[in-house]
Amino acid sequence: MRALIVDDSRAMRRIVGRILEDVGYDVVEAADGQQAIERLEEMDEPLQLACVDWNMPVMDGLTFITEVRKRPEWRAITLMMVTTESEQDRIVRALAAGAHEYLIKPFTGEAMLEKLDLLGLLPTSTGS
Amino acid sequence: MTISSAPDEALVLAAIEQVWGSMLFASAAPWPADRPAEFETGLQAQIELRGDWNGRLVLTCDSVVAGQIAGAMLGLGPEEQLDQPDVHDAVGEVLNVVGGSVKGALPGTSALGLPGVREVTAVPARDESFVVSWGDAPVYVQIVPDAA
Amino acid sequence: MTISPHAFTFVRELVRAESAIVLETGKEYLVESRLVPLARAAGHPSVDAYVADLSTRRTPAALKQVVEALTTNETSWFRDSDPFTALRQSVFPALAKTRPNRTLRVWAAACSSGQEPYSIVMTALDTPELAGWRVELLATDLSEEMLDRARTGEYSQLEVNRGLPATTMVRHFERAGLNWRINRSIRERVEFRQLNLTRPFPPMGRFDVVFLRNVLIYFDLPTKRDVLKRVRQVMAPDGHLFLGAAEMTMGVDDAWERVPAGRSSVYRIREDLKMEGSSCVL
Repeated sequence: MRALIVDDSRAMRRIVGRILEDVGYDVVEAADGQQAIERLEEMDEPLQLACVDWNMPVMDGLTFITEVRKRPEWRAITLMMVTTESEQDRIVRALAAGAHEYLIKPFTGEAMLEKLDLLGLLPTSTGS
Repeated sequence: MTISSAPDEALVLAAIEQVWGSMLFASAAPWPADRPAEFETGLQAQIELRGDWNGRLVLTCDSVVAGQIAGAMLGLGPEEQLDQPDVHDAVGEVLNVVGGSVKGALPGTSALGLPGVREVTAVPARDESFVVSWGDAPVYVQIVPDAA
Repeated sequence: MTISPHAFTFVRELVRAESAIVLETGKEYLVESRLVPLARAAGHPSVDAYVADLSTRRTPAALKQVVEALTTNETSWFRDSDPFTALRQSVFPALAKTRPNRTLRVWAAACSSGQEPYSIVMTALDTPELAGWRVELLATDLSEEMLDRARTGEYSQLEVNRGLPATTMVRHFERAGLNWRINRSIRERVEFRQLNLTRPFPPMGRFDVVFLRNVLIYFDLPTKRDVLKRVRQVMAPDGHLFLGAAEMTMGVDDAWERVPAGRSSVYRIREDLKMEGSSCVL
């Protein structure tokens, strides 16, 4: 299983990365939406999950999600917003743009694993 | 909690408590008004809110405290040291999450800027800020509306 | 030896973040005693060493173990999502065929801070077979404090992050300052009442579905047997009982049979005993 973490904060990428690696993901990082698209284009193997921050320089997370949804070859990627944006209408906008789940910062590791479980993306070997 | 368009101290303090508790595994409490809260060189993070209320949240703390906050966020042991960009990034992200929580609690829709972090050599005035605890150290918090 | 203030603070904040339960100062002994087995199992000489290691590594599975060791309450929405899937896909549709009065009664017998009964109401709303039905929820707990919290229907950001699908959250919750509040239309469907499961039940009618999850594990065998027997007496003969994933009736009260329901299982009153159950008139 492979996951892409898109967040402009290195610390946040490290936190999310550790949670995902702990349950068996290989993790790829990007610091903004544009870089994330480049990472995806470089890949020859499929990627299961992208955890995406909203507010980022260059290209924000909502634009990134919209871009990913335009590309049929990336249809299998599950998109989860991981952001401090927490108004109801923001969540609705992200879901409408194509996000599958939405995790609000601050979150705990347990909450992230439960979201993965909802998405059917928690590797079964570790259980929940 | 009263719903007004400007963030007040109670709201910001509650957001900080939530972030301290869940991301840093530490507790935050108001700092006694008569207790000294000085330090020499520190780090200041700020983030803008744009909407019904326009202004910024500013967080100022001692450089050692900033290192501890970053270490707690990343789960580092006491011996592990982070370099300056990593400390700036982590403290900025902590304030980003506080700012997002505060923004979400305000009526209407507003936008959040990206956090900015810099070194400072003076602490904010006590009457223009409130102080919360990080362990045994003070952290200054300011709610600064744009000049009219 | 007692736990250091530093380690206690870490554990207190961890438990508070994950469960909204506050371990007051003075609960050091509790933390120490519950964590000693975990520390030993992980090969650490002391609870302090174990907590120090935990705070560095933050392994979610290990953190979860600590929280579970220190809390006895349900904290997640749709906890162990399987029972709720079973409810929507098989239990509710089956009951919908046999209730001409279009009314269902559900009892959440240890509702804690309310996530379970509210999750049941949201599940009923997502069941097409129950469109236009009246679904009544009775939610009980031993703790008045938990019931007061549950009645407000207000949850912190951290709590709504736990197992609640984003689509469900935007549909059924609204912001209340830093918190989120479940919509009035859902709150109004749940009646909260204090109840001690180990004492005789007050009159409360008959239930089509009972959730009794992760409670029996805290009782001794005679008490478990007694509780299960009295639950039978308040259940419709064709009712469904949900227990926790690690719990079973076998060897406790053999009047139940385990029936598969989706990826989980439910308990039904055995066919040959239904008359006994339904003839129990007080």
